[in-house]
Amino acid sequence: MNKPDDNKLMERCIKGDRQAFETLLIRYEKPVYNAAYRMLHNRDDARDVTQTVFLKVYEHMDQFDPSRRFFSWVYRITLNESINWLKKSSREEALEHEAADKTSGPEQQADDARTGESVQAALMMIKSEYRAVIVLKHVLGCSYLEISEILDIPEKKVKSRLYTARQLLQERLTDQGLH
Amino acid sequence: MAIDPKHVELINADIDGEISSADKTELEAILADNPEVQSLYAELSALGESLDSIPDLDSPPHLKHAILASIPQPQPSQGNNGSRFLQGLFAAPALKYAATFAAGAILTLSLVSSDRASQRAFDDVTGLVGTISDPVPGGPGVHTTQINRKEVAGTVTTRSSGPILIVDFDLVSSGPIDIVASYSDRTIWFNGFAQLESSGASISVQSGRVTMQIDGKRRYAVFLHNAGDRDITINLLFMSNGEAIYSTDIEYAQPGHAG
Repeated sequence: MNKPDDNKLMERCIKGDRQAFETLLIRYEKPVYNAAYRMLHNRDDARDVTQTVFLKVYEHMDQFDPSRRFFSWVYRITLNESINWLKKSSREEALEHEAADKTSGPEQQADDARTGESVQAALMMIKSEYRAVIVLKHVLGCSYLEISEILDIPEKKVKSRLYTARQLLQERLTDQGLH
Repeated sequence: MAIDPKHVELINADIDGEISSADKTELEAILADNPEVQSLYAELSALGESLDSIPDLDSPPHLKHAILASIPQPQPSQGNNGSRFLQGLFAAPALKYAATFAAGAILTLSLVSSDRASQRAFDDVTGLVGTISDPVPGGPGVHTTQINRKEVAGTVTTRSSGPILIVDFDLVSSGPIDIVASYSDRTIWFNGFAQLESSGASISVQSGRVTMQIDGKRRYAVFLHNAGDRDITINLLFMSNGEAIYSTDIEYAQPGHAG
């Protein structure tokens, strides 16, 4: 593999190499945006959160622990920012109730058709801590170990949280006659 | 009847692709003679497949640029290396302006004439033109607003240099966008314009209003004569195909003033 690894790029960023930051941005823009979208179910919010995430990476790069992997840091910031966004906009509670009967505009409906809306709608009905593990596992493709590193919780807890998240999702989908 | 939690754990580990071969063998044995476990396995497998098949979305087209435009720029190195690609410039002398915008500056030139007729003074901003290829500095008296629309994204920054108020536009658009920058303080007037790319330049000026057109990535600077270093609010109206798509205000306040 010829591509410089993330941590090497971070080293260069810290030394002021803007190109290295741009390379990381290109590498992680899409997964960060997708994770934010799956957490928030809103394209504008996901865009804003993605922007905030990379600004934080840039502003706090000196706090990056090189013994850890860059992606775990950036994904942790992404999830935290998404959850903060929900709290700030007081959407968390509303989301848990609105998904079943929400009315959506044409753009959202077009999205829905493409994006497995029944699953996304059910995702929005579970608490963000459960949604986060689903996003890490199924959207970002992280392993138990990686999720444990990102969320800073033991692997055993990752497993139990994932099981619970799936159980809750299954219940929501069954309630809606979708699974 | 409740399913043994150990069996649930094995099913989930299998769905997650994190099951050991020994556990896989054990799970297969359980599945072979336990219909309840089979049913749960089928249910969770289907859910896992649904989750795994959620498609990736493309991120917005200007997001990367908007992010890059919003991060603080490193301080430029000492000295001017001469390699900058600044191509277009305008300073007060009308001939320079005409040379730069020969293709599309009739309205602007007429305004320059009218401003001259009204005895307004122009400062020579030639020395400032080169600064637009530098990163916009931060600090007191520098005000930045971010534009983050699907049609246009980037930053607009105000700062001053002596009597000149510099409005930097660092934007990218997905198509032709007109930007109307207007201000009500008539003691402030248009003093010049510079850009990093020479092609596609289009600017027109009327009293209290500067209109630019961008298409693609553009770095512009508008120089306003602000001899009193007065605080000012500039309204930025973004238009696409004659329709207003976004409007925002950007402030300039001299260092030490609120804002």
